[in-house]
Amino acid sequence: MPRTRALSPHARIVLAVLLEARGAWSHGYELARLADVKSGTLYPLLIRLEAQGYLEAEWQQPPEGGRPPRHAYRLTASGVQLARANPAGQPAAQASRRREATL
Amino acid sequence: MSGRLRRGLADLACRVLQVTLPPSLQSWGWAVRCETAEIPDDTEALLFALESLCGLMPHAIGARLLRPCASPTGDGALHSGGTITMTVYDATMRRPRALGTICAIGAVALGLAYLLIAGAPVRYLAVNASALVIGLAMLALLGRAEAAARQGTGGAISAMAGALLATALLGDEVEGAARWVHLAGVSLQPSLILLPVMLVGFSRSRNALATAGIVASVLAMALQPDRAMAGMLALALIVLAIMRRERQVIAAAAVSAAGFAITLARPDTLSAVPFVDEVLYSSFDVHAAAGIAVLGGAALLLVPALAGWNRDPANRATYVTFGAVWFAAVMAAALGNYPTPIVGYGGSAIIGYALSLLALPKRAEARAAAASATRSEAEATPTDRHLLVGTA
Repeated sequence: MPRTRALSPHARIVLAVLLEARGAWSHGYELARLADVKSGTLYPLLIRLEAQGYLEAEWQQPPEGGRPPRHAYRLTASGVQLARANPAGQPAAQASRRREATL
Repeated sequence: MSGRLRRGLADLACRVLQVTLPPSLQSWGWAVRCETAEIPDDTEALLFALESLCGLMPHAIGARLLRPCASPTGDGALHSGGTITMTVYDATMRRPRALGTICAIGAVALGLAYLLIAGAPVRYLAVNASALVIGLAMLALLGRAEAAARQGTGGAISAMAGALLATALLGDEVEGAARWVHLAGVSLQPSLILLPVMLVGFSRSRNALATAGIVASVLAMALQPDRAMAGMLALALIVLAIMRRERQVIAAAAVSAAGFAITLARPDTLSAVPFVDEVLYSSFDVHAAAGIAVLGGAALLLVPALAGWNRDPANRATYVTFGAVWFAAVMAAALGNYPTPIVGYGGSAIIGYALSLLALPKRAEARAAAASATRSEAEATPTDRHLLVGTA
């Protein structure tokens, strides 16, 4: 029999932050700060999302030389659907506000 | 802590993570490292790296355990179906040595709990914990040279039998029993270290040299004398002879039965040593938790044999021998003044258990593959994909 289980709050908030980016690339440190999750929670989640086709990842070369490349992430079309189907609760709103405050 | 040191530690944590991650996840190790380098604040960079290390380490270990059942398409996907817990459980059950390692760690931990509750000297706990580290290190080092080891099993069994004979003739003698040697200030019981791996190794690879080594070890146990180890030899070889009705095995079993009879006829007047002997039936007098820890630890020793019997029919003789060896050790401790393996004080049995895992197959065969295919087909439903995300 098919089983269903709700996404964890951390998964929902990370998806919400990625959805908020509206297709723009995000980086790990920035995501961890905006979603208010530890990097140890974030990366396993990103790995799963990417393995399941919800997340796109690419290496980006830095604009200035001498800096390391960065791994960047954005939702795929199915990831956007997943994020919309599983909106974050209060924590997502907090994340949005925090993001606006940093602009 | 200076900024430079914090930055150095952050980089070290990233490098450890990269070493730990399997090839399919290497890009994520680089991602964490590059991201850490971009964080301007040294403390935040260190925290980011350490948290990533802690968060991804279970993932890395899980992925390494899952490698045998990884996606054949090589897409780096970790799970083909089912929950992560079930997949890790499945993968562990298919790797007898990994399962045995987990059981060894669990049994030693339960033994430490018993020693702690029973008020044993702290040194005893340190000795057992150190023995576990030594045993697992030996298992890791020797496990890499498996092919060469399999070819030289006969020679290795004979050499170990020589060591047991030397112990019987030249070892430390206490009340008429010569079972121990002093090494670097520590008293070891070579038979507990060597006999289990000899017997399990003999169950997998037999020739005239190996048989001669087993017969020599029977002689050594009769000379020492050691009823517990002679009983271990007899039980393991008789069980093996039932499974493999070969002339060499039957001969070795007959000799071992005679050797055991000799040890029964010879006097054994050794008195009980606290925290070593009589642990099985005295532990409940100490505390119910201590008794449960001891029984649980002793039961854990047999788990690789039971799992192997169930999952790897091609190597059942090996698992039965392994089970007989450790069942005999536990029974000897229950019936007489003999060391309680793993859960009582004493490093020899701990090292011996770890070494005996060396003689188990690295991976269970046949039925495991069929079970894997069935599970993949049955459980690879679209809804499971969401389950995996839900576990995050």
